Amino acid sequence: MPPLLSIDLHNGVPAYRQIMDQIKLQIATGLLPAGAELPSTRTLSAELALNPMTVSKAYGLLERDGILERRRGQTLTVRAVSDSEAQTSRTEPLRQHLATAAALARQLDIPPTEALRIFKAALHEKPSA
Amino acid sequence: MNTPDTSTPFAAQSLSKSYGAHTALRDVSLALPAGRVIGLLGRNGAGKSTLLNIASGFTLPSSGDALTFGTPVARLDTPQLTRLGVVQQEARLLEWMTVRQHLDFNASFYPGWDRSLESRLLESLEVDPKRKIVQLSPGERQKVGILLGVCHHPALLLLDEPMSALDPIIRARLLDALLERLRDDGCTVVISSHILNDVEKIVDWIVALDAGQLVENSPFDTLQESFAEWTVTSLNGALPARFPEPFVLHQQPGERLARLRVRTDDADAVARFAATHHAEVKARPLNLDEMFPLLTRQPKARA
Repeated sequence: MPPLLSIDLHNGVPAYRQIMDQIKLQIATGLLPAGAELPSTRTLSAELALNPMTVSKAYGLLERDGILERRRGQTLTVRAVSDSEAQTSRTEPLRQHLATAAALARQLDIPPTEALRIFKAALHEKPSA
Repeated sequence: MNTPDTSTPFAAQSLSKSYGAHTALRDVSLALPAGRVIGLLGRNGAGKSTLLNIASGFTLPSSGDALTFGTPVARLDTPQLTRLGVVQQEARLLEWMTVRQHLDFNASFYPGWDRSLESRLLESLEVDPKRKIVQLSPGERQKVGILLGVCHHPALLLLDEPMSALDPIIRARLLDALLERLRDDGCTVVISSHILNDVEKIVDWIVALDAGQLVENSPFDTLQESFAEWTVTSLNGALPARFPEPFVLHQQPGERLARLRVRTDDADAVARFAATHHAEVKARPLNLDEMFPLLTRQPKARA
């Protein structure tokens, strides 16, 4: 079952990075559980209409980072991680978003207490339907 | 530089080409990596077509070496030529034939001509084989040129502005067809095009020429990660009228807010720049359209 990836080839972020980020996010959110099989380089590159080099680079780096592992021959699977690793990978995307938000707060001269109040309010907001 | 061997699809060493007083290529040295899709970029007259024509042996160098599959282009033999696929900007076709006859004619030269690939491409590119070449529109001629260039499974496919007359739907199908060749044949593709939005979707290597000289020869990922637009907001006081950093290639200065186009491989550059200028720096990557003028106009500037 291939993960649902959406690659924007015009936003300047290298496609291999987009693949890596989206697979990491899917693992962090539990969409891709430990042991789940990833589609082959060939299948995924055909599906996303991407150069196979791009997909194999993303897979290679995810393997190097210990996020994916190659099992029994060639199948690439999601590696099981410890709870603390899982916690870090879950909070990492949020940390990156908040770093951007923090920069914006400084640009707009919004003091930290006010910025925190806004974030707290956002946390309690119900997602709009 | 590595010694070019048979696994290097094309290599040039101090390659120059002149037409009378006009120098089309000046001292170009490069080795194209195998199994890649190489975007050959440059403004009109930069030397792209000349380089492709030399790689296929249509044109010979004025000086320097040009090796295709490790063989000097002047000495390419028939087996090597059958491993080449060439799609020219304006296909030279046999006007009196039908598309079908032309395909059969070309197929007779190639032992590896793939009829099943041919019929799939006829369908996906929407080419009617019964039409006479002389009656075809520029776009249809371009499609026929593509069919004639790829159906023998070339190891090196040279495409010179292959999409200029094609509509977006057909362009997308052509890109898919090229990716399929890459997956199935592991071929090397060199594509020159001004339609950078499309090139961006398949290339993983960029070669750029400017006024006959090689200005870039790098993996596309690396370029995407080194070029950026920085939005610089002053935290206190006015920003400098001009930023002196050598990695700043283009700047729109302002007292409170400046926009810069930069090229740096230094991961700490943003933080250091922000500290130096007491500013907040927001970086965003550049797409190929935005990168292009920086590649071909600026002298190489690296931080």
